[in-house]
Amino acid sequence: MKKMLSVPVILFLLFVSGSLIKNTYAQDTQSGKTAMNEMLLAYYYPQTDAKSEISMRIVNRQGQVRERRLTMLRLNETPGGGQFYYIYFHEPADVKGMSFLVLKHLGRDDDRWLYLPAIDLVKRIATSNRRTSFAGSDFTYEDVSGRALDEDEHVLTGDENLGAYSCLVVKSTPKRPGEIEFSYMKFWIDKTTHLSLKVEHYDLKGKLYKVYETQEIQTIQGTPTITKAVMKDLENERYTEITMKNVSYGAGITSDIFQERLLRRPPRQWIGE
Amino acid sequence: MKLERLTQIVMGHPKLVIGIVVAISIFFMAQFPKITIDTDPKHMLPATSPVRQYNDKIEKDFVLHPDVIVLGIVNTDGIFNPQTLKYIKDLTDAVRQIPGVIVRDVDSLTSVENVFSKEGELVVKPALADIPQTEEGLSALRKTILDNSLFVGRFISSDGKAVAIFIPIEPTANGKEIADNIRAILPKNPGQNHFYLAGDPVARDTFGTEMFRQMGFFSPIAGLVMCIALMCMFRNVVVIIAYMSAAMIGIIWSMGGLIGLGFPVHIMSSMSPVFLMAIATDAVHIFNEFAFRLREGQDKRKAILETMKVVGSPVFYSDITTAVGFAALATVTIVPVKIFGLVVAFGTLVVLLLSFTFIPALLMLVPEKHILKLASAQGKEEKFYPLLLRLGRFCVEKTKPILLVGIMLFIVAMAGLSRIHVNNNMVHWFKFNSEVRTADRVMNKYLGGTSTGYLVVQAQKDSDAGDPAFLRQIEGLQRELEKDPLIGKTFSLVDYIKRVNLVMHDNAPLFNRIPDSKQEVGQYLFLLQSAAKPRHLDNVVDFSLRTANIIVQLKIWDADAMKSVIGRANSFFASHPLPEVTNFKPAGIAYFNMVWNHEVLWGMVSSFLWGLVLVLILLVFVTRSFLWGILSFLPLLFTIALIYGVVGLIGKDFDMPVAVLSTLSLGMAIDFAIHFVGRFQQRYKEDPRKPGGDGWASNSPSHLKEALIWTVARPGKGIFLNAILFALGFAVMVFAALTPYITVGVFMAAIMVLSSVMSVIYLPALIQLWHRKLIK
Repeated sequence: MKKMLSVPVILFLLFVSGSLIKNTYAQDTQSGKTAMNEMLLAYYYPQTDAKSEISMRIVNRQGQVRERRLTMLRLNETPGGGQFYYIYFHEPADVKGMSFLVLKHLGRDDDRWLYLPAIDLVKRIATSNRRTSFAGSDFTYEDVSGRALDEDEHVLTGDENLGAYSCLVVKSTPKRPGEIEFSYMKFWIDKTTHLSLKVEHYDLKGKLYKVYETQEIQTIQGTPTITKAVMKDLENERYTEITMKNVSYGAGITSDIFQERLLRRPPRQWIGE
Repeated sequence: MKLERLTQIVMGHPKLVIGIVVAISIFFMAQFPKITIDTDPKHMLPATSPVRQYNDKIEKDFVLHPDVIVLGIVNTDGIFNPQTLKYIKDLTDAVRQIPGVIVRDVDSLTSVENVFSKEGELVVKPALADIPQTEEGLSALRKTILDNSLFVGRFISSDGKAVAIFIPIEPTANGKEIADNIRAILPKNPGQNHFYLAGDPVARDTFGTEMFRQMGFFSPIAGLVMCIALMCMFRNVVVIIAYMSAAMIGIIWSMGGLIGLGFPVHIMSSMSPVFLMAIATDAVHIFNEFAFRLREGQDKRKAILETMKVVGSPVFYSDITTAVGFAALATVTIVPVKIFGLVVAFGTLVVLLLSFTFIPALLMLVPEKHILKLASAQGKEEKFYPLLLRLGRFCVEKTKPILLVGIMLFIVAMAGLSRIHVNNNMVHWFKFNSEVRTADRVMNKYLGGTSTGYLVVQAQKDSDAGDPAFLRQIEGLQRELEKDPLIGKTFSLVDYIKRVNLVMHDNAPLFNRIPDSKQEVGQYLFLLQSAAKPRHLDNVVDFSLRTANIIVQLKIWDADAMKSVIGRANSFFASHPLPEVTNFKPAGIAYFNMVWNHEVLWGMVSSFLWGLVLVLILLVFVTRSFLWGILSFLPLLFTIALIYGVVGLIGKDFDMPVAVLSTLSLGMAIDFAIHFVGRFQQRYKEDPRKPGGDGWASNSPSHLKEALIWTVARPGKGIFLNAILFALGFAVMVFAALTPYITVGVFMAAIMVLSSVMSVIYLPALIQLWHRKLIK
């Protein structure tokens, strides 16, 4: 009699625990996705528009340095949706006046234009590759403009303290592996600001090859903003430091400045010399 | 002679002596498991060498991988078909999974970005992304890829029949193991597609692995052949055991010592066992004389002592000269050669010690009846004796014609010597049809070249490398270099800049050139940084735009090819001087090979000359006469001149194995002259039938002739037996799969046979000619 009873009990327990495990897993991916979405919004979409001056220092293994200075204007179409970017380079001297226009779309390739003052030429760039280097730095184009949420499977793997910050750790694995040079990334996302404080990139053999670290966060116009960060390429022993200055939100940037013909005549209202 | 005392002591305690020798051997044998090997040609030069340090710096500064495997796919119908394209894609992905491969830097058409102009737009996408399935799609793809001059000759052949996947590997990884792993993932039924693996790490590490297989195989075979030859000569197992154990102990002590001291085994030292086996054949002189003495009715103990008394001195001095010849290699800067010389020199001394201790002790322990068999077996060999007697008579009587032939041969040899060509080619260490050499040949037929050199051009100050004038000069240099048919492709910052200029202007051919303003160059460079992998640009220019690197692909591994690169660069800069160019410096594996090749030559030449001088001094010392020293020296000189004369005449390159042999041949070839002269002098002094007077005072021509004939016939037999044994041992290496071993086998056999013939034929003639001065 006891035995007879025990069988359904075990079966029941198995079922319950099975669905529980399944549930926790589902919750983990769910909360992973949520955490990642919050990060993307906090990192790439704060406020409707933004203007910032960015300095980059790229250092190679010989210790030689390349510097870049640029102004970036951003306007969101919808939160978490399409975006407009206008990027104008001030330095180095020989690229002064070069500019990029990017209309970022979700679900399809972005529209990109480029202006080369040396030959006074605006050129449309057709590419689906978002993993190329941004202006020769260790940041990719995608690191600067954001990677679509749906491209990866996000799993919340736990909590961890990073210095004074309490973080969620999310592991993001590409849904279409083989098209990309990393096998997964690991994000440390600050629970209060939702900004990522550290990102580790693992190559196809699972070896860590690139590390992003946030070095400074300032609250600007009530918005926690990363003002200093570094990306290190461990294999090539290079790194890029990026510094944000004169960040302003809600300045009233309008969509009419994001036009290819304006690449030749940058909007002086926003972009100084 | 103190060594005779040693022999006497040994014969009192034969078991103890053998016990001690065995104990020491066990100690050295215990070192073997610690063995490490090293086949990297870069280690030919010491770590402190400026060339090596500069090369390391260039590789580091320009993020160049020192070890790159090239996987080639050839389809004679063209690679633009869905099947081959899929292979490229799948293999590029698959090789990344192999341990030791530097994942992110694997480069092929699927991983590099192609930047091209299409309907006024700038398209940036992987050169090979989605595989087209239609004819139109395939031909469009063909066009976009072959239109990009950055790819042609590097990633794809200009006829579209071959592609290359570049697979950089970790410095600590083994190229052969990775190559084997790649072979394992190659498609099983590839149809029209053929796969080839080339590149320095494959050749180098395959050679390393093969080297041990070959030596593991040929050392025992050589030993076996020598044993069989000994068996035929002496019909006695004791002799074989004595010889084999002397050889084995010599090998165990020297190799054990090498490994125990923590030195890696290089290609040269891997050959030491065969050399030591050959050197140990010197013991044949002992057996030969011992057998003669026994037959003459002496008892065993007395026969041994008497044998050591007469043979001891020549054996001692010939081994010492051999050791000196090898030790002379220690003066060379090439580390592996230095180590090899010292190892064999040490082994030779071990063999020498054994000849006076271990071998007599062993002979003492052998029961009388076995020994008697040796004596009777020798007796049956009498027929060899009359033949040599006749040879002796011939030599003594036909002095003039013999010398004349010698002079003529010498003149021919000199002509050959003047034609010697110094060169080295690592891929040619493999046989023509071997997998490695075939892969290299096929890859070089289709693509720019498997051997790489760098020309690093430094401008006067930062950002000067972006100056159009500077770039034009680099371009001019590239075109000049490419005139050499062996230089398949050159590659620099210029090629990138021209490519951007072209595509920014919608492929208008007019713009396939360096732009006129520095600003334009700067903006193109900026664009490139965003389109290419940062590393690709870092390969050709540094951050401060001061130093540019021209990558030169060579279709041949000959050291000469890089010499041509440097020669052309020098003359180009001489006729196109520009203030911007403060200097240019070569680097890369091709340059490396050129440098150590040069070092080998001069190192060898100087150590060879040193060796000659040392041997001559030793000979004068041994014979206690300047004239006798010179006389014994001549057959050696003659042998070497003839051998290298032939090398020059048949057009074989004077490469590393040949160069090393030159020094080795010294100590080995002189042995016979030492034996001949030593025994002749003894005979001449002791001959009971001498007509009158005492010793050297006697000057009767008939007595002289008789002593010479006796020397040709009796010790001459030992000399010939030794030479044949030696030659046979080396001759088996002709069947080796690696050409340096074949070279060594043929050469050493030739040197031995030739020097024995030279000694036995020319020494009587020369002694006859100079006897008035020689024998006062």
